[in-house]
Amino acid sequence: MRHSFTAVIEKNATFQEDFETEPYECAWASEARWFIHVAELEGDWAGLSARVQVSPDGLFWCDEGSAFEPMSEPGMYSLAVRDFGGWLRLDCGLGGEDARVRLMVYLVLKE
Amino acid sequence: MALANADIRLSRFNPLPRILAFDDFDDGLHGWCELVGNHNGDLNELQPVFRDMRPAQLSTCTFFDMGTHGAVDGTYSMKLATRPRKFHQAVAIKRLTSAADGLVQFEAWFTYKAEQTFGGDDPGARAWDGNYHPSEAHFGSFTLWNDICEGTEPRDRYHAALRYENTNEEGEFTQRWLYKTGLHPTTRMLREGFDSNQNDVHVAKPDMWAPIPGGNQQLCFNEVPTKVNWHYLRWLFDLSTRRNTELQVNDLTMDLRDIPVLRFDEGYWGINRLLNLCMDVRTTSNVRNFLYMDSVVISADW
Repeated sequence: MRHSFTAVIEKNATFQEDFETEPYECAWASEARWFIHVAELEGDWAGLSARVQVSPDGLFWCDEGSAFEPMSEPGMYSLAVRDFGGWLRLDCGLGGEDARVRLMVYLVLKE
Repeated sequence: MALANADIRLSRFNPLPRILAFDDFDDGLHGWCELVGNHNGDLNELQPVFRDMRPAQLSTCTFFDMGTHGAVDGTYSMKLATRPRKFHQAVAIKRLTSAADGLVQFEAWFTYKAEQTFGGDDPGARAWDGNYHPSEAHFGSFTLWNDICEGTEPRDRYHAALRYENTNEEGEFTQRWLYKTGLHPTTRMLREGFDSNQNDVHVAKPDMWAPIPGGNQQLCFNEVPTKVNWHYLRWLFDLSTRRNTELQVNDLTMDLRDIPVLRFDEGYWGINRLLNLCMDVRTTSNVRNFLYMDSVVISADW
């Protein structure tokens, strides 16, 4: 049976500026799927972007190459990733005037 | 014991007659999950200290300078990681129930670290001298605890909590074992107006911890943030007496039978025979703190 684990990376968190998610170790998994559940997105022209980042050590990061489609309204968004090495995080940008987002971020890992 | 001695993976433990769980994190997290507080479906209802207890991770103990450290055996250990924010706490829980009163023992091979930092941003900190490394002072504490509830009557519920305090709230080395002298503020207590600092899941105020007699102990941090040495720990508690029995960490064994364990005056509904085992790591600096478990054995005499 294949191992699987779902980590809640951000739980009902509110941001008013750009942010990176906490580093998460995933060397054991061969595939991953990010979910971002945007519960609230407020502000004029508010939009959320999220790029996948990888790291050899959990300290220094670079873009993995894939990114979510821009998110401009509440909803569930998802992105699958493979060949990510030992660590994953999201580099998220919040655009717009006085923008504010409240969200959940899940990382679903499978061996 | 004969079985334990015959199994090379169990022979480094001393389990009671019935092994309830053997959690070798080389093959998963074995039901150790993120603690979440009580709510009504609206996560805004979570009390602040319970809002962000972080998911456990399967770690390879990989560091920037030497690559993968691995575990006592195999590659993986369970890692709890705080955020890089003073007094943040990461908590994992394993939820069981008890079939009888009697002894329960938690054993583990563990280690702990503060995250590597670069550059000297700690004014006044004791400098690196080739042996001592300031990273050691970035590590706050880790705590082993339980959540026990026999039934629905008043005073049926209690938490025993044993903390290794490396540095105190001011970030000063203390390197000792503590027990708590205050109740864990439950969601219901807070809703009834209980005053809590909300920066420690165990107690409302930082002075609600006391030293365990004979509990001074310097562990093997091993000089730098990228070397890990695994420690043996054995914690025995007794559901019959509602007390801790003893705590062994390497060559130090503390008799805990006279250490008080506070009980809740209220009755709690729907948690009969609750037997939760928990662990956490709490930082006293703005540096991520990590607690690693290579493996855990939970055993009982019933």
